[in-house]
Order: sequence, then C-alpha cells, then structure tokens
Amino acid sequence: MADASTVNPLLDMWRKQFEESAAAWTRMVGQVQAPPPPTDPTAFWRPVLNQGIEQWARLFAQTPMTPDLATQWKQFMDQWIEAWSKALGQAMNTDAYAQMMGKYLDQWLVASAPMKKAAEQQIDQALQTLNMASRSQLTAVAKQIVELEERLERMEDTLGAILQRLDHKEPK
Amino acid sequence: MALERFADVVERFTHGYGNGHTLEPRAETVTQWQEELERVVRRAENLQRMLTNPQEPRVGQTPRQEIYKKNKSRLYRYQSKRTHRTPLLFVPNLGISRPYIFDLMPGGSFVEHMTREGFDFYMLDWGVFGPEDNDLSFEDCVTKILPRMARKVLESSGAESLSVLGYCMGAPLSASFLAAYPETPVKNFINMAGPIDFSKIGLFGLWLDPKYFNVDRFVETVGAVPADMVKAGFKLLKPTMDLSTNLNLWWNLWNDKYVEGFNALNRWANEYVAFPGEFFRQWVGDFYQRNKLFRGEAVFGGRPARLSSISCPVFVVGAKEDYIAPPECVRALIDAVSSRDKDYVELPGGHISLIAGRGASLHCWPKVSSWLAPRS
Repeated sequence: MADASTVNPLLDMWRKQFEESAAAWTRMVGQVQAPPPPTDPTAFWRPVLNQGIEQWARLFAQTPMTPDLATQWKQFMDQWIEAWSKALGQAMNTDAYAQMMGKYLDQWLVASAPMKKAAEQQIDQALQTLNMASRSQLTAVAKQIVELEERLERMEDTLGAILQRLDHKEPK
Repeated sequence: MALERFADVVERFTHGYGNGHTLEPRAETVTQWQEELERVVRRAENLQRMLTNPQEPRVGQTPRQEIYKKNKSRLYRYQSKRTHRTPLLFVPNLGISRPYIFDLMPGGSFVEHMTREGFDFYMLDWGVFGPEDNDLSFEDCVTKILPRMARKVLESSGAESLSVLGYCMGAPLSASFLAAYPETPVKNFINMAGPIDFSKIGLFGLWLDPKYFNVDRFVETVGAVPADMVKAGFKLLKPTMDLSTNLNLWWNLWNDKYVEGFNALNRWANEYVAFPGEFFRQWVGDFYQRNKLFRGEAVFGGRPARLSSISCPVFVVGAKEDYIAPPECVRALIDAVSSRDKDYVELPGGHISLIAGRGASLHCWPKVSSWLAPRS
C-alpha cells in the first residue's frame, strides 16, 4: 500500500499539470481568430421565409375550424398563399431587391447584346445566300408603308380642312 | 356505479346514443361528404375535358363595326340603342394585353353593359405591334392617333362632342391628349384605374427607378419589348398569382359556369402584347421615371400638356387592391384638373376586377354608366 506522503505530491503535480495545460489551451483558443462566416446566398430570402411562415401562422390561428376537411384544406392553402404573397411583396418592395434585379438585367443585356447581333448577322447572311429578303429589309418596307399611310392621312386632313373652309365661304 | 357505467356502454353499443346522441355521423356531415364526393367526380370530368378536348373560348361577341383603321390601330363602333346623344370613346392600354377583356363574354362584358345602357360606344384597339412599329412613340399616339380617333367618332356619330373613357394606360394617354388639345370638344372624361401621379405608382416605380433601370440601354438592346418579357414583368409583380389561380380553378372545377369564365379570362391573361421600343422608352422615361404629365412638364408635338387645362366633368375610379395602379396614384387626377364637376370612387378589388368579373358588373360598371348617363 502506498504511503500518503508519496501520493499527495503526485496528485498535486498532476493537478498542476492539468491546470497549466487547460490554461494553455484556453490561451491558444483565444488567440486563434474565428474564421469569417461563409457567404450565405440565402441571406436575403431567409427573413422573407421567416416572415411568410409567421404571417401564415398568424392567419391560420385566426381562422375558425370547420368540420369540412376540404374547406379546411382550401382555407389552409388560401392563407398559405396570402401569407407568401405578402411576404414576397414586402421583400420585393425594397431597394435591395430593385438593385439586385437591375444588376441581373444589366448583366443579361451585356451578355445577350453581342449574341443577338451575331445571330442576326448570320441569319441575314444565310437569307442573302438563298436570295431571300432579310427581316430588316422587310421591316424597312413595312415602315415605308406606315409612313406612306401617315402622309396620305395628312393629305386627307388638309383636304378636309380646305373643303370645310370652302363650305363656309359658299354663299347660301 | 362502475357496473352502471358498464351497462351504459353496452346499451350505447347495442342501441346507439339515445336523446339525440348517436354514434352515427351527423346527417349534415354526411351530406357535406356526399356533395364533396360529387364535386370530386365533376372536377375529374371537367379536368379530363380541359386536357383532352380544350375548347377555344368565344370572346368579343357584341356586334360591332370597324369605323376607321390606322396602321395597326382600329376604331370599332358597337351596336346599341343609342339613347344618349354623346358618343363614348373608350381608350384601353397600348401593348400588354388585348382589349377583348372589355367584351369577354355575354353576361360578363363591360361593352355589353354600356351598350345596353344606351351609350354609343366606340372602342380603340391599338393593335398588336411588330418590329416595323418600333419607332411609334407615346407622342405619336397622343398627337397622331388619338386626335384622329376622336374626329372619326364625331364624324361617325354626327355628335358635336364626345366623352372619353381611359382604362389603365389608356387614362394617361387620354389625359395627355385632352391636356395637349384642350380645344377638342370633350364633354366628359373618365379615368378607370389609370395611373396619373407616378411618384405613388408602387412596385413598378421602384423597379423602374433610373438608379436601377437604364431604359435607353434596355431599348437599344432589345428593340421592341417582347411579349414574353412583358409577361415576366407582370408575373413578377404578383408571384403567387398563378398558384392561387390554379388553386381556385381546382376548387371550382366542378362548376361549369366557372370553368367557362376561367377559360375566357385565362386566354386573355396569357395573351400578352409587345411594346414598341420608342413607346416603352417614353412611357418609362417620361412617366415612371420623370412623372412629367403630373408635374406639368409634358410636351407633345410642341404643345404643352397640363392637366389643369382639363375642365370638363371628370370621374375617377380606383381599386383598393390595385398593385399596378394604386388608388392614390389614380386619384391624383382629381386634384390636378380644373374641373368643377369631379368625383372619385374607390371600389373593392384589383386592377382587372374593375373591368371583368361579377364584382365589376355589380359594383363598377353601374357606377360608371350612372355617372355618365345624365351628362351625356
């Protein structure tokens, strides 16, 4: 059996080591900087989702229960849609959403403009090879017809005005 | 006591509940379930018919005559008793949708209601625009099309003055025309859900803010605004609309009358019309972004268009849940005109429910016809 006088210093040493190592770990953990939170693409929509669920829960709690299961299901769906409609409406009525939409639209315009131009050029070339009128040529003809119609209308108006004046001048 | 309770249980088990207490389901509930089951069967039948043999709904059935045409635009005169002397020129929106919504189906048609009330009803159909119309601007509509249409209405009816009714975009178009040509003999002006003060336009105003939307770059890239893009814009305004429409269709699918109405309205709701490029540029730039008409800064064909120069009787109808033209934005016309005789009503419902549906035929159309009748 071990003597108490030999065990106590061992325990003390062990406790001291434990305390020192714990302190060292604490220091180390404290020194290490917390990693930056990962970028969350759903950050914009999360409050909207929460709001939608809250609104739906509120509406649902206000509605009286009916024994008719089908009606109850319809009420549930109506409230669910109404709550989401409100939540989405609020989210879309923000500068952040308008800015995001504007940015996406700009990106789309930048990407689609050269593609559209290239496609039009290719189609025009193909039609020219087949000895057929291109879309732009047909559009130009249609525009000329519209302009002609407008000129005729103006002439008609002028003639109408002259005839009216002549009618007024004629002795009765 | 315990024995007595056990006896009660046996009694109830063998003979049911006495004195109104019965183990059988209540008669009311059974009827409800029977009705629901019948509806499910009818729903399945109608769904099968809709999928396998879709019927093209007949729209625009009120008899009419083409009075005048200019490029894509047409002026129609509808058959009526013509008990009122002053003809009415109806100006709908340009682009976006087709005007047969105003004459959707017998019993649910604004045109039918107005002709039945004895109005000499003329409708301007702006038409469906193609790439050749890309140079058509808002100004062209105000200075070239609307004055001619008004003249043709007067010529055709033989009247000395006319009333003008603008719906949705047709209202600012008509208001611009009346303001730029105050000499036009207009007896009454009605604005139904037409935006006037664009600082209160709501969601579209925010999305089309010059900070976020460059209209010049947009028009230069796409040319005409395609119908699909117009559709996407409107769908985005109310993303849950399709869901609730389909849910309501399922719920009412057993009802043949509902299905008939749905088919007609659905055809219209999915038939979008493109915007001519220049028109869109001016519409967004001068109205949504600069609010020129309301501010008194609009000039069309060298003529200043000031709303204060409108002095005829004015009637404005707004819809409480209108998210395309919110009521406060529509109501603004009342304070902007110099008319003495002016009224404003705000009705329940949204932008479309003012001109289509049962609610419109009960609440909106009679108000419009009863306001206009003594003034015509």
